[in-house]
Amino acid sequence: MTLVSRLPGSASAVLAAPLLLLNASSVSLATARDTPMILLTQGNTTTHDGAAPSSATPVAPPPPKNLEPLPPSKSTGVLGKKVVGPDGKELGLVVDVVVADDGLPRAAVIDFGGFLGVGSRKIAVDWRLLRFAPARPDGQVLLTLGRAEIQAAPEYKPDAAADQMVGPPWEAPPSTAVHK
Amino acid sequence: MALAARRNIRRLAELSADRGLDWLNLFVGNIQTGFGPYVAIYLTTSGWTETSIGLALSLGTVVAMVSQVPAGALVDSISNKTGVVLFSLLAFGTSALLFAIQPVALAVYVAEVIHSFSSCTLGPAIAAISLAVAGPAMQGLRFGRNARFASIGNGIGAALMGAVGYYVSERAVFFLTAGLSLPALLPLSRLARIDYRRAAPCGNDGAKTAGGAGRMLRDRALVTFAACAMLFTLGNAAMLPLIGNALTKTVGGEASLVIAACIVLPQLVVAAISPAIGRLAEANGRRSVLLLGFCTLPIRGLLFAALTDPVLIVLVQILDGVAAACLGVMVPLVTSDVAGRSGHFNLSLGLVGLAMGIGATLSTSLTGWVGDRYGHPVAFACLAVIGIAATVLVWTAMPETRATQPVPAPRE
Repeated sequence: MTLVSRLPGSASAVLAAPLLLLNASSVSLATARDTPMILLTQGNTTTHDGAAPSSATPVAPPPPKNLEPLPPSKSTGVLGKKVVGPDGKELGLVVDVVVADDGLPRAAVIDFGGFLGVGSRKIAVDWRLLRFAPARPDGQVLLTLGRAEIQAAPEYKPDAAADQMVGPPWEAPPSTAVHK
Repeated sequence: MALAARRNIRRLAELSADRGLDWLNLFVGNIQTGFGPYVAIYLTTSGWTETSIGLALSLGTVVAMVSQVPAGALVDSISNKTGVVLFSLLAFGTSALLFAIQPVALAVYVAEVIHSFSSCTLGPAIAAISLAVAGPAMQGLRFGRNARFASIGNGIGAALMGAVGYYVSERAVFFLTAGLSLPALLPLSRLARIDYRRAAPCGNDGAKTAGGAGRMLRDRALVTFAACAMLFTLGNAAMLPLIGNALTKTVGGEASLVIAACIVLPQLVVAAISPAIGRLAEANGRRSVLLLGFCTLPIRGLLFAALTDPVLIVLVQILDGVAAACLGVMVPLVTSDVAGRSGHFNLSLGLVGLAMGIGATLSTSLTGWVGDRYGHPVAFACLAVIGIAATVLVWTAMPETRATQPVPAPRE
């Protein structure tokens, strides 16, 4: 396996991350599809309260001033996207993204295996093992890990104290090295 | 002459009604597959988070639990059982369409509520029609056939929906489900003219006995049976997901295939043996069939705890088929034995359904908890112990409910 760049998907992944956070904050209602493809940047969040006329009819607040494009050809939501292995075979679905305290994505939680929803298990994989292709219509995510390595991974439980994720094989400590 | 001719026509109608029920069960089995665990996958691919999916599914479970008994009472009070089936099937179709058209929160919640409630009216209504079609002497066989065709429907549904989900899209599965509820309406024409007064359980012939619904729900045999069914489901419901989870971990790329086999093989067994189980229950009594079904549960749990070979694991699922056939036939049959003449058949069926729903819900949580802490084998052993308890309860407390002398078929 070649040692590919440590920043997968280049800018797209970085763009996708805040989008996901936006999504997670409105957990119960918003679907990824409904999220407007506009990136709301920090600062300049002042509203035009004073400008609103004092009539009884409510007026929608004007859009934020600082709007940047978020073109779908260069960025994509990842929740619910299919994950395929290096052989192109479907492995599972992205069901969650785990971020570290620096706000950057650390791992993706993948619901793996099963048949018609029976018997699948969730595992966490290092974010850097994923390759994104926002331009693809199905937004498929490539996982650069063999099936055997995923299969042997411990199950991910969101609130367990000793959660583990599958890291890149080239960084694996000798004691837990994956044998080919 | 005229009498003979009328009798012949009636025989023909009965035969036709039997076939109609077969088809109805097949299509209903077909449709129900789409609402299973597949909903979670579909919502995930639509960008739903784990939390919101859990919320939607829990909503469905709660509605189903709360409406079991009232829905049973409602079906009891409506004499037009085919009408109930018609409305329930249309509700299924609507629910599937709501899922398919736009998986937004409100639509999904409404769909879950509609589907959960109509499930609670559909099952009892079909059972009530079966009683009317079969007559007291043939109930066991009739429920056996119901189980057979529902199971065939489940199998076909799983194959169809698996293929559509894989080759077309997750959303197409729900359009297919909605579409399948239309042909399910066709067999109803054969059932519309059944004389439901022939079957006392329908409760619309003025034969309602003194005891009200309250007394029925406190009937010792019914409560004992509900407790047995709850313990059984508590030990049974989490077994398949747990073995699926274990297989995904141990077996390689073909894990999905092995799990598919674990789902399909029991369906085949149910389709093959259910009528025989019904006949056995008429010949040897209900207790022996219940014990046969219940005792497979601890055996299966212990075998799953010990086995790792996928082929053997799939073979053990034959036991699941035996148990499913026994329960599938015995739940309506024992309920009919106990509540048959009271006019509260569907209410009683609702009570048993509620007990099983509680068992299934607790089963998943319990197994998840034990599995996380002590691993799969201990979780399976735990389910086996529950299975033993359920079997012992049947052995010691469950009375034989079959009528002491064969009921003569009420034909002129």
